[in-house]
Amino acid sequence: MRQKKLKNVGTFLIFGGPSLFAFTAVVLIPLAFGLYLTFTNWNMATGTHAFIGLGNYKSILTDKTYLEQLWFTIKYALLTVVISNVGAFSLGLILSKGLKGQTFFRTGFFTPNLIGGLILGYLWQFLFTQVLPFMGQKYGWAIFQTSWLSDTTKAFWALVIVNAWQLMGYLMIVYIAGFVSVPSDILEAAAIDGAGRFRKIISVILPLSVSSIVVCLFLSISRSFLTYDLNLALTNGGPYGSTELASFHIVQKAFLSNEYGMGQAEAVILFIVVAVIALTQSAFMKRLEVEA
Amino acid sequence: MKKLRILALATCVAVILSSLAGCGKGSNSQNASAASGSDGGNVALTFFNTSAEVNTQFTDLFNAYHQSHPNVTITLIPTPIGGQQIQQFQSLLASKKPATMANLDIGTVYTYKDKFLDLTSEKNYYEGIAQAGAIDSAMLDNKLIGIPYTVQGYGLLYNTRVVNKALGTTFDPSTIKTRDDLASLFKKIQAAGVPPVMIHGANWSVGAHYLALSYALQSKNVDDTRKFVGDLEKGTADLSKNQIYNNVMDTFDIMKQYNYRKNDPLVGDYAKDASDFATGKCAFFFMGDWIWSQVGTLKGIDKDFGVMPIPFSNNASDYGNSQIPVSEPKLWAIDNSGSTPAQQAAAKDFIKWCLTSKEGQTALVEKMGFNLPYKNVTAKNTNPVAASTSKYIDAGKTINIGIITYLPSDYYTKTGDSMLKYLAGKIDRAGLNDELTSYWKSQTAH
Repeated sequence: MRQKKLKNVGTFLIFGGPSLFAFTAVVLIPLAFGLYLTFTNWNMATGTHAFIGLGNYKSILTDKTYLEQLWFTIKYALLTVVISNVGAFSLGLILSKGLKGQTFFRTGFFTPNLIGGLILGYLWQFLFTQVLPFMGQKYGWAIFQTSWLSDTTKAFWALVIVNAWQLMGYLMIVYIAGFVSVPSDILEAAAIDGAGRFRKIISVILPLSVSSIVVCLFLSISRSFLTYDLNLALTNGGPYGSTELASFHIVQKAFLSNEYGMGQAEAVILFIVVAVIALTQSAFMKRLEVEA
Repeated sequence: MKKLRILALATCVAVILSSLAGCGKGSNSQNASAASGSDGGNVALTFFNTSAEVNTQFTDLFNAYHQSHPNVTITLIPTPIGGQQIQQFQSLLASKKPATMANLDIGTVYTYKDKFLDLTSEKNYYEGIAQAGAIDSAMLDNKLIGIPYTVQGYGLLYNTRVVNKALGTTFDPSTIKTRDDLASLFKKIQAAGVPPVMIHGANWSVGAHYLALSYALQSKNVDDTRKFVGDLEKGTADLSKNQIYNNVMDTFDIMKQYNYRKNDPLVGDYAKDASDFATGKCAFFFMGDWIWSQVGTLKGIDKDFGVMPIPFSNNASDYGNSQIPVSEPKLWAIDNSGSTPAQQAAAKDFIKWCLTSKEGQTALVEKMGFNLPYKNVTAKNTNPVAASTSKYIDAGKTINIGIITYLPSDYYTKTGDSMLKYLAGKIDRAGLNDELTSYWKSQTAH
C-alpha cells in the first residue's frame, strides 16, 4: 500500500513536478510575500520596514478616493463585460454562418488582441484627441467637437469602448468554437418544429453555449478589472485623475507615492473583489449548463 | 517498479539541482563583474539613464571614452521614454545589482540619498568650473550627492515672428514688467486676430511648473520655502490668504482668459501643443527650453523663439517679475551600495571628463541638446530657446525652484489635477484653495 502511494507521488512529481516548481516560484511565493508586505510600512528608499498589523487595511477602507476608484472600476468592468459579450456573441453568430469572406472578418476582429494594449491606447488617443475633433469641427458634429479624453464622462466611455472593442475579437473566437459544436441535428429538429431564426438562438443555441458564456464572462471580468496598460496609454488617469482604474491607482500608490504596503494592500483587496465576483458568476452560470 | 522510483527521485534531484545551479550562476557572475572592477586595472561600469531620448548618444559617448581610456568599459542601462523608469531603478537596487552611475531626477536622488556616494569633498572643484550658483542648486540637505549636467529654464515662450506681426513692431520682452502690462499685451495680440497664449493642459505643467512657483517665490532661500511648505502641512500657513499664491493665481486667470485651448483646455497633447506653437498658431506658450527636442527637427516651423518672465504682480521690482525659473532637473549620482572603490573612482573620472573635455561637452551640448551649467563650454547649442534662457542665467535673473526637490513625489499629480479642474472651470478659486489645503494637510500623516 505504502509502496503504491510512494509510486503515485513519484509519478506525479515526474509529470507535475516542473510546473509545480515553477508555479510555486513565480506565483505562490510572491503571493505569500506580497500578503506579508501588506502588514508592513515597507520603504524602498531606506530598505527598512516595520510590522504595523492591519494599519494599511484600516487606512484604505477609510480612504474615500480609493473606494470611489474601486466603484468606478466596478462600473467600468460591468459595462465592458456586457458590451464586449453581447458584441462578441452577435459577431460570432454572424461570422459562423458561412458568409463570404468570413475568415477575413474573423481575423480582422481578432487582430486588436495581437497588438499590445499600450500601442492600442496611443492609437485611440490619437483618434480621440486629434482625428475625431478635427472631423467634428469640420462637419459640425457637436459630440466630437472637443476631445473625448478631456471630459470625465466621455473619457470613461472612451475607456469602455476601446477595451470592449479589443476584448470582443477574442471572445468572438471562443463563442464561434461553442456555436460550431452545437449539433446540427438539433437545429434541424428545431427547424422542423417550426422554430424561426430568433427562436433557434434563444431556445437552442443559447442554452447549448452556456459553457462558452461561462468562459467568456470569466475572461472578460478578470481582464477588465485588471486593465492597466490601456488606462495608462489612453487617458493616463486623466482628466484630473478621474479615470484611474484600480490597477492604475495601485501602481501610482506604490511607485509614485512610495507607499508599497498600502499599494500592495489595495492589490489584495482588488484580488478578493475580482475572485469573489468571478467565482460566484461561474458557479452560478455552471448550473445553467445543459447537455445536448 | 523500483526503477520508476529511482527515476522519480533522480528527476526531483535534477530539478532541485538545476534551480540551485541557476542561483549559483547568478552569484558567480555578479562576483565576476564586481571583481573586474578592481582586477588588472580594467573597470566595468554601468550607467542607468533616465534621459531616454538620448540613449544612443550616450552609448556613442561611452564608446568614445573607451577609445581614449581602454581600461574602462561603460555599459548603458536604458529605460523607456515616459516608461517605468523608477520601477526599473528600484528593482536594480532590490536585487543588489545597482548601476555604478545613475542619471536621475533630482527628486529621486534625494529620495535614495543613502544609496549614493557623498561627493561633498569635491564641491570646491565643481564650484570652480561651474556657473555661479549651479552647484548650490544641486546641494541636497547641504550635501553634494549628484553632479548637475543640465540646466533648464522655462516661462512664457514666444514666437518672435508671430508676436512682431501682431504688434506691428519689434517686441521687447523687457517692457512687460507688471501683470497689467501682460494683460494689455495679450489684449493687443488678440485684437490682431492671433490667439495670445497656450496653457498645456497636463498636471506636470500646471502643477509642477506653474503652481510650484507659488511656493518658490516665497523666498530666494530654499530653507525658507521648505519651512513655508512645512507650515502648509502643519496647517499653520493659510494658502488662501497668502499674497504670493494669490498673485500667481491672478496671473494664471489672465492666461486662462486668453488661452488658445480655451474650448478644450485639458487635451494636454504635448506633441500637438508644441508643434502648434512652433508653427505659429499662437503667440505665447507656457513651457520651457526642452521643447526644442520635440520641435527642433520638425519641418515648417519658425526659426526665432525666446523666453520671457511671467509678471506676477503690479510692482515691477517684486521677486519673480523679471526672473525666469531655472532648475537642474537631473543629476548624475554614483552608487555607494554595491560598487567597489575602483568603480567609484573611475565613475568620478568619467563625469569630470564629460563636463570638461571638448569631446564630452560636444556630445552633451550638440548631440544631446543639454544646456551645461559650466564655464568654458566651447560647444554651441542650436536651441534658440535655450540660448534665450542662458541670457537670463548669465545675468543672474533666475528664480530658485529648488523647493520642488523636497516636495512629496506625488505632489504634481495631486495638486496638478486640482489645477486642471480649475483650468476647466470645474471648481472656482475657493474650491482650488480647499483642495490644495487638504492635500498639504494630508501629508502630515506620513
